[in-house]
Amino acid sequence: MQSAIGANYPRRDAEDKLRGRVKFTIDHDSGQMLHVALLRSEVPSGRLIALDLEPARRMLGVRGVISAPDAPGIYGVMVADHPLFVVDEIRYTGEPIAAVAADSLEIAQAAVAAIRVEIEEFAPLFTMAEAVAPGARELHPGWRDYEMLAGEGERDGNISWQSTVVRGDVDGEFARDDVTIVETLYRAGRQNQTPFEPRAVVASYEGGRFVITTSTQFPWSVRSGVARVVGVQPSDVRVIVPTVGGGFGLKFEMSLEPFAALLARETGRSVKFVNSRQEEQQTALCRENAEIRIRSAVTATGEIVGREGIMMMDCGAYSGEQPFLCSMVTHTLFGSYKLGSARLVSQSVYTSTPPTGAFRACCGTYCVAALERHTDEICARMGFDRWEFRRQNVLGDGDLGPTGDTFKGDVLGPMLDRMVELRKRSTGIRSHHDGLLYGTSITVGTWFIFVGPSAATINLNPDGTATLITAGVEIGSGSTMQAIPQIVADVLQIPIGNVTVREADTDSAGYDGGAGGGRSTVSLGAASADAAVDVKRKVLELAADMLEVDAVDLVLENGRVFVDGVPSVSVSIQEVAALAQHTTGPIAGTGAFTGIGNRAVAGCAAGHYIGALDLPVFAVHEADVSVDPDTGHVTVIDYRVVQDVGRAINPRAVYGQIQGGVTQGLGYALHEEITFDDHGRVRQQGFETYRIPLSGDTVPVLVDLFEGAPSFGPLGVKGAGEVPILNVAAAISCAVADAIGRPVFEIPLTPERVLSLIHERPGAGVDLPHVQTDWRTAVIGDVEELLRVAPR
Amino acid sequence: MLIQITVNGETRGVHAPPLMSLGRVLREEFHLTGTKLVCGEGFCGSCQVFLDDEAVNSCLVPIATADGRQVRTIESIAEPRGPLSPVQQALKDADAVQCGMCFPGMIVSITSFLENCPHPSRLDVQAALVGNLCRCTGYERIVDAVVMLGAEG
Amino acid sequence: MRLASVSNVRLVIPNTVGEAVDLIASKDDPALPLAGGTWVLRGAVRGDGFEPTYVLVSRLPELQTIDWGEGFLSIGAAVTHQQLADALTKESSLGGLFAAAGKSANPAIRRVATVGGNLAATDFAAGDLVPALIVAGAAIHLIDEQGKRTVTVSDFLACRAELLRGALLTHVTIPLGTGISAHERLTLRHAGDYPVAIADIHVELGDDGIVKNATVAIGSVEAVARSWPTLADRLIGSVLDSKIAELATRDLSDEVRPRDGVDASSWYRLQVLPTVVSRAIRTLLHAGGHGC
Repeated sequence: MQSAIGANYPRRDAEDKLRGRVKFTIDHDSGQMLHVALLRSEVPSGRLIALDLEPARRMLGVRGVISAPDAPGIYGVMVADHPLFVVDEIRYTGEPIAAVAADSLEIAQAAVAAIRVEIEEFAPLFTMAEAVAPGARELHPGWRDYEMLAGEGERDGNISWQSTVVRGDVDGEFARDDVTIVETLYRAGRQNQTPFEPRAVVASYEGGRFVITTSTQFPWSVRSGVARVVGVQPSDVRVIVPTVGGGFGLKFEMSLEPFAALLARETGRSVKFVNSRQEEQQTALCRENAEIRIRSAVTATGEIVGREGIMMMDCGAYSGEQPFLCSMVTHTLFGSYKLGSARLVSQSVYTSTPPTGAFRACCGTYCVAALERHTDEICARMGFDRWEFRRQNVLGDGDLGPTGDTFKGDVLGPMLDRMVELRKRSTGIRSHHDGLLYGTSITVGTWFIFVGPSAATINLNPDGTATLITAGVEIGSGSTMQAIPQIVADVLQIPIGNVTVREADTDSAGYDGGAGGGRSTVSLGAASADAAVDVKRKVLELAADMLEVDAVDLVLENGRVFVDGVPSVSVSIQEVAALAQHTTGPIAGTGAFTGIGNRAVAGCAAGHYIGALDLPVFAVHEADVSVDPDTGHVTVIDYRVVQDVGRAINPRAVYGQIQGGVTQGLGYALHEEITFDDHGRVRQQGFETYRIPLSGDTVPVLVDLFEGAPSFGPLGVKGAGEVPILNVAAAISCAVADAIGRPVFEIPLTPERVLSLIHERPGAGVDLPHVQTDWRTAVIGDVEELLRVAPR
Repeated sequence: MLIQITVNGETRGVHAPPLMSLGRVLREEFHLTGTKLVCGEGFCGSCQVFLDDEAVNSCLVPIATADGRQVRTIESIAEPRGPLSPVQQALKDADAVQCGMCFPGMIVSITSFLENCPHPSRLDVQAALVGNLCRCTGYERIVDAVVMLGAEG
Repeated sequence: MRLASVSNVRLVIPNTVGEAVDLIASKDDPALPLAGGTWVLRGAVRGDGFEPTYVLVSRLPELQTIDWGEGFLSIGAAVTHQQLADALTKESSLGGLFAAAGKSANPAIRRVATVGGNLAATDFAAGDLVPALIVAGAAIHLIDEQGKRTVTVSDFLACRAELLRGALLTHVTIPLGTGISAHERLTLRHAGDYPVAIADIHVELGDDGIVKNATVAIGSVEAVARSWPTLADRLIGSVLDSKIAELATRDLSDEVRPRDGVDASSWYRLQVLPTVVSRAIRTLLHAGGHGC
């Protein structure tokens, strides 16, 4: 039997999806269920003075109405600052004030419209500039008393979190007379994940427990989140996950589940709650907008002796994931390159806008864009070749990362070499005399695999097939449909079709850290491999008894156990499994996996959830573009990717992820824009104005999969689903700047924005006065102490 | 309002508000959940069905205008126990599917397109798919599959 | 009083145009015409809601016909964009209308959205058909309780809310003439958007290639599409030249009142309009076979 590893096994759910048979959460039969509508705030900021739910409760067909008193727990990811319903303070347009369950969606919506609300409006702070201005009103007046859920970080007023890095003598390096100082500003807007299946949930209350079927990426976080908000034990919550119609990070956190759960308990009925497209546009946990100032001191020979960064990310009304992401700024904005000294402050800032969250490579997308624009500006200023400068400066074996830990392996360097080869396969830029401007780019990026705990159990069935039980979710990448069964099939030496993967259910499966962050194939794959090894060991032991030999003399191949070198003396896995029923009992194996726990060097990093990367993943992207100087339209002519995959378990699936991820990145870089009106409403209310790429807006991506980088994932694999989007904003920003001969410092590069840059329209530039020029002034807390404890 | 409608070959009367969308009626009254409602504006094409042999966005068809007409959904493209249609098989062979939400509408759209333009170029296919969005795949395998199918047939 | 959801919306199906007009003109419960439904069903998304009563006009035979008459083309209000495109060819003087009908929105919308629906959508600035009908010299035919009425497209657009009150738009007639026309639209993505700027141009050329007559219309740039006679005048008396047309457009920019939108600002629409006009001229040059 050919090894399952490296083979392009087709995904097993393809046929049902093509026939339209798959039941997503949105497809659960709503015949007997109640329907939910939320009363959402129509103002961005204010105080709830009065709330009269009676008109809703009295309406015919309304079965339950709930609000803040029904959900006492305060939720959060790093900081517990987020009540389920408005308690008294309203912090964003769209914030839930009450929820109704009724016989039909129309009745629920009519009931919501009947609820009487009285609000005293406050002046909103829509931008980070307003939120950090001296004397700005505190959007969370009680911030000092908030419970910290995972680690410590400086906070103050509307700064919901701060992470800092200090390593070496930045002041000294910048003061040298043999360096050139280059500074770059960059700003990125929000991006909405826009999975086609909106957030959706079906909930019931059975046997004193909440049973929740939901479109989520992370069932165990829904379990603990619902429990916390509702005020019950996590074991009183069961989460089941059907096939998910896309996630991209939007569904990495609990969202609609607690509303449905509470209404199920309130009414004693099953309850279905699906967000409308407009609700998703308004309240999706978008990729956050951010503003960055980065400066470097570079010698004439191209050595980066000092780098300083001051940045802010907008967490919106509640802090959510963003405090965690502050530490990922370190590994992306200050990653990829050797730095003689480093000083960085990243702050997450409250504003009167919907909370932001995680979207495929999170802050990595804009950090790599800012970094690579900065790198190109260094090259332009100092006359360096853009590829040569990168080749000289990227991190290699034994080099120090931003927080002082030592990187292993030469990966980025060889990947840059491979890109030179890959470039030969493209048609290259033609400079036709057609009035278009042409440009190209070369970009490097570092992201990480969000390894984290995963558990797996494998039951060896009496017929010799295997059932894999995990809390892994299939969101579209195919990891549970292809790569993971391939890993199990490979260890157990059975046909891949004989590995059944059970849908996620927190009652039967052990903990899993969620589908996202590229972690499924690594963490879940490792736990599954571990469980398979456990099964294999038990199989060999029993087979040894059957064959009357020692287990160490046995090998397992092609579904049979035989004595090494004596294939005639053998039993099949089926025979072993069948015998086990009557002797040892049914054979099952368990496996577990978690991260290594790499740490930053002492004194270097403050306020970091991730001090150092357990498993970095690297990417090199190039883009060739043309720009129409009359209309500002950018056309992508060619796009090339060298991706660090460790080991390609299913290469065809990886290519699919890269094509999809790059296309999403083109949307981020060129088309997708989120803006707010004076009432805090997102202007882009649907697909008419929120423009995601069409097939004519993308190109077939040229790919080279780089294998062999150090990885403690199973078989040396690194996750491939997240990183394809990482460098796209960088590649496009740099290529467009190259084409138009002007600096680019903002995305999305819509035609209007590009034309404004070409025409040097007043206001087209980016000015970030609230992002301090002086690191010391930007940092909150004891600056001198940070400097004192920093490593040299 | 009582509407007479033939869905996947079966004629039935159904009670629905006259302006309720055909897509919602198909999903909620006929329990044909293969058709997906994603954008509600006719931009994404996930809800496409055949209405009298034309591929239309069912989210924007008031059910009353479908009175007396023939509707075919994704469920009718292949028999439940029968083989996939050539379009479905081509997409499967190309390993094009990811999350699956856009594919029912995509298949109706492509099937309709190939009936009118059996040997399309890449550009023809891209023009035909202007109303079929996909968030996951980046489109290339879908376009490849259609071009190849057109070249074979 | 607009309704928030479709649950209580009433739809009446008339047998004749007369019945439809009675329903539309009713004083206590005026019904709004419904043809394809692609604009009306997005009412919830727009936050507009729905009228309490609609009258289904798409099945009335008079509204479904496409008639090549004696010197006129008659197009029923319920004719879809796709049906219209199928009936026209791009070689005729109606090449612009052919392009407008065949490229708007996306294929599935074109199969359902109607000519009448496009004309009647008063808050839809980016419709493709409207400027194309202007340069085609179309006449709009309405019927109300007083009888039939005919207005030019421009007059219709100037006060269409008023004209449509109590009236049904039945068909559009276009004089069949000579000349060539082009429709140029600029979208932000490669395709699939509503255009941010549209230019329609119709010209009659002499044997020497000199423009004898011209009509220009712009759409999506302002709140309502309109004719641009001063730009048309600039084209008359010379051969077609895309660069000169571009410069003329830029020169006359002060006459334009561009609109801000979520998709693009007024600045952008005005910036790209000369390019859109110049591209329309280039299309005419390819159609007419006259060079430069």
